Amino acid sequence: MSDNREFIEEFLVESGENLDQLDRDLLALEERPDDPQRLASIFRSVHTIKGNSGFFGFSKLGALTHSGEHLLGRLRDGKIRLNGRVTGTLYSMVDAVRSILESIESTGVEGENDFRELSQTLAAVAAEDAPALAAAAPVAPAPVAAAPAAPEQPVTPVAAATPPAPALPAQPSVAATPEPTRQATAASDTSIRVDVGLLASILDLVGELVLARNELRSIDTVDPALEGVIHRINTVTNSLQEAAVKTRMQPIEHVFNKFPRTVRDLAVACGREVQLVIDGADTELDRTLIESIRDPLTHLVRNAIDHGIEPPDVRQAKGKPRLGRLTLRAFHESGQVTIEVQDDGAGIPVEAVRAKAVARGLVDASAAAALPEDRVLQFIFEPGFSTAAQVTSVSGRGVGMDVVKTNIESIGGTVDISSRPGAGTTVRVRVPLTLAIIPALVVRCGTERFALPQAAVGELVPLRGDGGPRIEGLSSAAVIRVRGRLVPVIFLDEFLSLRPHTACRDGATVVLVRVDEHEFGLVVDGTRTAAAAAHDQSRRTDGVRTVAEAASLSTIVVKPIGSLLAQLGIYSGATVLGDGGVVLILDLRGILRAANLPPVERKETKAAADVAVAVDDSYLVCRTGTGRRIAVPLDSVTRLEQFAADELQPVGGKQVVRRGNVFTPVIDADWLLGSAPAASEHAGSVNLVVLDDRCGGIGIAVRQILDVAAAESVLQPALAAVGIAGTLALGGLATELLDLAAVLPIGGALPADRP
Amino acid sequence: MIAQNTPIIPSASGYCCFLVGGDCFAVPSASVAEVLRDGRITRVPHAPEAVLGLLHLRGRIVPVIDMRRRLGFPVSILSANPTHLVLRLHDDWYSLLVDEMLDVIEVPADSIEHPSQPAADTPHDAVVGVFAGASQLVHFLDPQRIVQLPGRQREQFIHKQGATHGGF
Repeated sequence: MSDNREFIEEFLVESGENLDQLDRDLLALEERPDDPQRLASIFRSVHTIKGNSGFFGFSKLGALTHSGEHLLGRLRDGKIRLNGRVTGTLYSMVDAVRSILESIESTGVEGENDFRELSQTLAAVAAEDAPALAAAAPVAPAPVAAAPAAPEQPVTPVAAATPPAPALPAQPSVAATPEPTRQATAASDTSIRVDVGLLASILDLVGELVLARNELRSIDTVDPALEGVIHRINTVTNSLQEAAVKTRMQPIEHVFNKFPRTVRDLAVACGREVQLVIDGADTELDRTLIESIRDPLTHLVRNAIDHGIEPPDVRQAKGKPRLGRLTLRAFHESGQVTIEVQDDGAGIPVEAVRAKAVARGLVDASAAAALPEDRVLQFIFEPGFSTAAQVTSVSGRGVGMDVVKTNIESIGGTVDISSRPGAGTTVRVRVPLTLAIIPALVVRCGTERFALPQAAVGELVPLRGDGGPRIEGLSSAAVIRVRGRLVPVIFLDEFLSLRPHTACRDGATVVLVRVDEHEFGLVVDGTRTAAAAAHDQSRRTDGVRTVAEAASLSTIVVKPIGSLLAQLGIYSGATVLGDGGVVLILDLRGILRAANLPPVERKETKAAADVAVAVDDSYLVCRTGTGRRIAVPLDSVTRLEQFAADELQPVGGKQVVRRGNVFTPVIDADWLLGSAPAASEHAGSVNLVVLDDRCGGIGIAVRQILDVAAAESVLQPALAAVGIAGTLALGGLATELLDLAAVLPIGGALPADRP
Repeated sequence: MIAQNTPIIPSASGYCCFLVGGDCFAVPSASVAEVLRDGRITRVPHAPEAVLGLLHLRGRIVPVIDMRRRLGFPVSILSANPTHLVLRLHDDWYSLLVDEMLDVIEVPADSIEHPSQPAADTPHDAVVGVFAGASQLVHFLDPQRIVQLPGRQREQFIHKQGATHGGF
């Protein structure tokens, strides 16, 4: 019997493929009922399964497929014509065969269900002379028990599942996926079947080879023969690694190919007309990731059909075509695979989501009112969130979207959602191409080393302390100015509690990284490529490492660190460097979350109508001496300073502070806003927000610099007051935006005449 | 005594015994992949206290659990021969750092007494049975429970870099 096992497994795999082909053929046949080649292909598939089941003694399977073959024979001979009932019954047969195969796979036997009723239905339909396809409605295949050995699962006769009037049109059309042309025999032999475990072993071995190659590369030698060999091994290993990674890559078509059938069944079950368009099915990704996205994508498709696309009558009343459109699109983009599920339905009711978020206590009413639309839509990913008025059996139980997000994130991906009311919704899933071998940058922090995925690294900014870029602000709102933009930074040694805060950062490097749309900087001691890092002990070059030195790539093999440590959320794995040292790989998204940095997001330029909100709408939030919470647009800020109050000097009737040869006029914020009668006395230290030349290089003295934050609402100009342009929501609190136009005239003259 | 760096042949009722803090513990031999002496441990910042760090074992990265901390013993007393007991649980690998390795013993399942109430969420939650050995009491540990640290030992990693209100 165990010898048989191997043949049975082959039978199962082959039959599975036959069934997939059957699904495709039936869908195509529904569209073009008079295609004799299609019918012949269907007949062949069923015949093959029937023959094989006889060989193995699977009598139930044999009886079922025998009835199916009989029906198909009648069709082929023109004794009956194709209609909804016929196709529905055939689909039921396909599902029934699938369930028997599943039973065989898990238990070795066919299971309790002999599908006698279905066989009778098949016989009955074969005997009828039913009207042709054009007039009848398509029928959802009757539910089939998926679990094997389920004794009480009557297959309801197909007629009972016919949806009630109004009658749906002939059939939901399914856009033709580019179909592999099918030969009667096995596919033409440019590919072979390989056991997945074997492939995994090969990839592991290649990984080991990469590590050994790294070690080899770090050996200094003057022997030209040895050098030559090392070089050759290096080249070959690179190519081998690329090829090995490719073996794990599969086109996403393997996931997409089930969807035409799924969409058809869902559309019928929900009473919709849906056209499925598939784009980019040949986009490749790692096979382990393919399995992980199958379920989330299925849920998204369900949502789109059940909640997104409206019933045909509703669509028609809105002036939309009755046929709804669902697009599955996949493409490569900046080192990731992006998959879009897009429908042209009603869109997501933003206000309903907003209200629901408040009702569930996720946010309070006033904060919710200030949130922009795309923030509101994020609530959909909260567990148990569903705005569906009625929970249908298809979806809307509210357990879906958070699971989708969790599943996608667990493989290192992201999901987000955008919607246009009345026009449709797009859900965008991004997953990494592969996880196994990545190019990395190794950074040093004290005596420890860490690795960063090269894909996330933007540029390296050395802190030389000679007037070049430097870190400004306090550790709670530390930023670095790079080519005109201010980027928040995290001190890696503080974040990981490696050593106490160091005031002096000369010789350090800021690694600018990008995670999704967020950019931030990691302050580290030095950077090395993975190969050069292995040399650190012996070759200490003093001074600062230049960007060029660290610019070349090196690949590392990503090893898992186990769930115990993975759940910390800040490490995505570990690797072994050429010198044998173990180095943790930082999870930048996790670090961003844990550090609680407000994002300095790049937003599209808003329409001119949205006046008074900066294009790069990030703000520096401060507290004045009287405790008022104010904000200054970040791109107007040149630098932040802190000095002792007694360094303020009166010069020409103004207060200034001197730094070397630079005199900066200082204006107290409260005095500017009219909340203090005269230039206030400052005690202790003064925090200064120095504005740029457009504002005369003036420094605004505040009591405390709080944070850097992105605007969470549009500016409310109605609340303008002296020196205030309006109010914004920042960090969840209402904040007054300083009116810079009010500041500028002050730089020139004594403001004796200000109220 | 088991020699260093030996792979353990799994057997159904065999148990590997070891000492931690003077007490004797055992895990099923079937879950033990190997035993080794020296191992360079790489620290993992912010890891739970019981996790000493990572060990590199022939291409595999293995987290090391300090069994003293895990079982609630004082850590001030240093052991002379700390040994790594490398466990393999399905696809996950862990190393248990113990004071001293003892022998492999055969114990029929019905000789093991089970505590009536397993002590959940304490350092002893992994103890699933005891056996009166020749010289001392042997405490049987469930490997799965060892690596699931009790709530108290699991550090919640929250880092606030000064953001004074709910950031992103």
